[in-house]
Amino acid sequence: MTEIGTITPLGHGELLATESASSSRSYFRQIVDSVLRRVGAILGAIWIGTLVLLAVFSPLIANSHPCLMEKDGHWSSPMLAHLSAGDVILQTLFWSGAVLYFIPKPRRQTRLILWICVSVLAIGIFPFIINPPTIVEYQIYREDQQAGKIEKVFYAPIPFSPDDHLFDQMEMRLTAPSRIHWMGTTSDSADLLSNMIYATRIALSIGFISTGIALIIGVIIGGLMGYYVGWIDLLGMRLVEIFDAIPTLLLLLCFVAIFTPNLYIMMAIIGATSWVGYAYFIRAEFLSLRQRDFVQAARAAGLPVRSILFRHMLPNGLTPLIVSASFGVASAILVESTLSFLGIGLVNEASWGNLLNQAVGEGGTFYWWIALYPGLAIFLTVFAYNLIGEALRDALDPKLQENK
Amino acid sequence: MFAYIIRRLLLMFPTLLGITALVFFTMAFSPGGIGGPLLDRSGNMRGGQQQYIRAYYEKRYGLNQPKLVQYARWLNLISPIGFRSNDDGTLGSFGLKWPSLGESMQQHRPVMDLIAESLPITLLLNLISIPFVYGFGVVTGIISARHRGGWYDTATSLSQLASWSVPTIWAGVMLIGLLANRQYIKLFPTSGLHEPEAVFMPFLPHFMARGWNCGWLFDTAWHLVLPVVCLSYGSSAFLTKLMRGSILENLDSDYVRTARAKGVAERDVLYRHVFRNSLLALITVAASILPAMIGGSVVVESIFSIPGMGKLGVDSVQFRDREVVMAVTLIGGLIGLLSQILRDIIYAMADPRVSYE
Amino acid sequence: MPTPLLEVRDLTVAFDTPRGQIRPVQNVSLSVYPGQTLAVVGESGCGKSVTALSILRLIPSPPGRVLGGQVLFNGKDLLQLSEKQMQSVRGKDIAMIFQEPMTSLNPVFTVGEQIVEAVQLHQNVGTRQAYEIAEQAMQDVGIADPHKRIHEYPHRLSGGMRQRVMIAMALSCRPKLLIADEPTTALDVTIQAQILELLRKLQEEKQMAVMLITHDLGVVAENADAVAVMYASKVVEYAAVNDLFDSPKHPYTEGLFRAMPRLGRPGGRLQTIAGAVPNPRRFPSGCKFHPRCPRMNGDALCTQKEPELREIATRHWASCHHIENFAAAPITPPTSDAIRKDAEAPA
Repeated sequence: MTEIGTITPLGHGELLATESASSSRSYFRQIVDSVLRRVGAILGAIWIGTLVLLAVFSPLIANSHPCLMEKDGHWSSPMLAHLSAGDVILQTLFWSGAVLYFIPKPRRQTRLILWICVSVLAIGIFPFIINPPTIVEYQIYREDQQAGKIEKVFYAPIPFSPDDHLFDQMEMRLTAPSRIHWMGTTSDSADLLSNMIYATRIALSIGFISTGIALIIGVIIGGLMGYYVGWIDLLGMRLVEIFDAIPTLLLLLCFVAIFTPNLYIMMAIIGATSWVGYAYFIRAEFLSLRQRDFVQAARAAGLPVRSILFRHMLPNGLTPLIVSASFGVASAILVESTLSFLGIGLVNEASWGNLLNQAVGEGGTFYWWIALYPGLAIFLTVFAYNLIGEALRDALDPKLQENK
Repeated sequence: MFAYIIRRLLLMFPTLLGITALVFFTMAFSPGGIGGPLLDRSGNMRGGQQQYIRAYYEKRYGLNQPKLVQYARWLNLISPIGFRSNDDGTLGSFGLKWPSLGESMQQHRPVMDLIAESLPITLLLNLISIPFVYGFGVVTGIISARHRGGWYDTATSLSQLASWSVPTIWAGVMLIGLLANRQYIKLFPTSGLHEPEAVFMPFLPHFMARGWNCGWLFDTAWHLVLPVVCLSYGSSAFLTKLMRGSILENLDSDYVRTARAKGVAERDVLYRHVFRNSLLALITVAASILPAMIGGSVVVESIFSIPGMGKLGVDSVQFRDREVVMAVTLIGGLIGLLSQILRDIIYAMADPRVSYE
Repeated sequence: MPTPLLEVRDLTVAFDTPRGQIRPVQNVSLSVYPGQTLAVVGESGCGKSVTALSILRLIPSPPGRVLGGQVLFNGKDLLQLSEKQMQSVRGKDIAMIFQEPMTSLNPVFTVGEQIVEAVQLHQNVGTRQAYEIAEQAMQDVGIADPHKRIHEYPHRLSGGMRQRVMIAMALSCRPKLLIADEPTTALDVTIQAQILELLRKLQEEKQMAVMLITHDLGVVAENADAVAVMYASKVVEYAAVNDLFDSPKHPYTEGLFRAMPRLGRPGGRLQTIAGAVPNPRRFPSGCKFHPRCPRMNGDALCTQKEPELREIATRHWASCHHIENFAAAPITPPTSDAIRKDAEAPA
């Protein structure tokens, strides 16, 4: 039968569909929603940015070593002298990254490569040339100051290091917040605020790196499964099922029990247990992409597998993974806090999780500042990543995109 | 359908094998190996005594055998068909036998007893939480969807992501600190499942000579309030969002338009037509809710000192107590797989489009 | 002259979107007489479905709303009724069937349950009797073995079957008016013919009026008594079917006829209407058809003023500023017989 008209740009079903998609919420609600989403994501990004700054600059913000000191007529900077290799590396990465980001001249790729070179160099060289003295006694500065041996001294804004156990002061364990210790002290007589600032490094690195590891593992396994269907797929599915059905926490406990909990090991472990979701996703994407014409064309042209995978299929399947990854970072931070809280994760370094563990003492005494601040920090960070994930998901969801 | 169930149950075995093997060899390759911390516990003893204890453990539990053999022995232990073991540790005759979970190296008690004590508690905690989670999620989701754009809906959406982001450890600590504490409000008990006097309490509340006695039932219930809240709030928020989204999506569909055109009232459209279709989405996630909650109950049991299976698992992993860890893994994996099968069955019953013939 | 069963007067519907208001239906007027079939013809996006949905007030209320006009059914203005009163009109006095039979039935209920729901809503009968009515309705629409089929789920039925179920459901309470929104567009051609024939038969049996929405002129030729042609939210021509096919007055209608291929009449290329259907967000000023109209010769009137629907011949309305001028110039429209014959031939 003949159809009236020549071009029909807007099918009648589409007209109704566009209207009903936006009619499912009232006009006002739609505005409020999209604004809130964006505001939430922006606030989340601001919080994460703040954490990054705190992590990079933590030795400059909270340090028992004075920034500048004049003693016996000599000026010195104990703070700088005691910077560890890691601190210096972080500073290098940050400043080089900032500079390279803002200069317009070389192309994006060149600048990225430059930054990577600088980072690799820094990571490779600095641990060998930077060796701060290992034995430190923080109370000396304060004692000297009291004794009048020091003429002038400038401290960092928070004049306590996380491992400064205030040996020069009596009974400073678990004191409530005061003017000196803004967030009180821990059960080790250390300043809580200082510990929390240094703990941002752990939270952020665990978040990013474990998720990165999980992504890599998941994408590789899922990609292989989706591309080479057949027995690889069957084998992979059994593997996925095993990791999926196993009680995750138990697996983590086992893995953590293998090695002494060390930051890098933790990252690897959390990464090794959370890859399942990404693998599933990529496999589904690949299975559907296989049927698409452009992939078949590439195969017919004889392109090697690797090329098809990386240049054609992966870019298409990766975008939704970003949403998943954002939630994955939030989850990794939660996992690390939980394990540290249970006493199984990190025990040597202060992390928000094991700080929280000190909140309820023996005999049921409740130290509210130790419960409030670390817990709040974990909550805000997880919330921020979840907000960003939600905003990304709304941005990428085709259903919610306006017509033209 | 029956054949499908049988098939799924049979497929469970290779997966369980994989899970237990993974956990076993992880334990085996850890520093100290299986039972390591137990063997090294004797730090203060003289050299000779330490040797003696070590030899005893090794002989009793076969710790000096190759790892693969140890794993095989464990498999043999739990299977109803296998080699019976004689009292001196050597292998006996082959045939049907009672499966056993072995003996705990740390507590020198049969693992079965340990599990029998702790599993019901964990199950109690979780099975009580599930109705709350689903009830709250479904009801809130429906109300939100019905009055979308209203204040209830906006408030729920804002708080839903936030409550999902609250870490369980923080929630537990704050709840204990604020609501179960002498310093603030002592509304709830701090720990455990029962007060010490609970053993003497009658089951139901009634008046006694000494006055009002709340009874064992209410005592336990009161102790469970905070842990259940801790366990449920996250999943409830998630389910609320899911239900609301599912309902709204269904409200836009064609069959709803048909129903309205027939003259069905809006209320019935929601509760008759849309509700059943929306539930399907919730059933799909049900399989992951139970294992997630069991994972969460590990934390809750630790915070609230509830002697459940999660706590058992944590303790036994720290000591690499082989039999207990394996038993906990086996049961945990079993629960996970069974809930997947259950979910698939329920889904097939709920959605007439799906059939497993 | 009989009174119309349904009379739409000057209906205007608007949708409030974040990007502004659009009006997919503007000043639409049409009537359906008892036992008659009115075809509403137009391309996708011209507003015919929205008009139909507005009659039953099925347009979701935010963001859509009726800006003006009346919908008189047996003299009662449907737009003034409460929601509860409207619910007793829907399905009982006026029934509607839709385009996509695949998704228009609830997948978790059997077809019997869904028909019975319609029956029990409007008739005071018990369940067993309701099932009997449903079975009879299924028999009437030509579903074989209705006693068994009534307990099937929709996904087990083919598209044609499902559409029959929809029709059975719609007719189970003997409505006086059936609105059919492109009921056969999603079906195979052979099924299409069957369904249309079924509708014709039922209409005769039950003395029902039908408002048939379609974009297919062939269907119009076969089934309609009166035709309303819509373009870009307005009715541009309205006449009895013979009058329309014999002498279309509006340039759009003429263009439609010219665009149809005709067997046995050798010609060169198909003549198309230049341009494209306008986007509802950006309707042209003045007459909405003027960018594509062959009669427009830079006339300012066409770009500034909207033509009204005027009765230019007996019971034949059209809206164009230049009807009289061009009525004399023959466009040689094909004769009605030729059109019907061509319409019957397979496409």
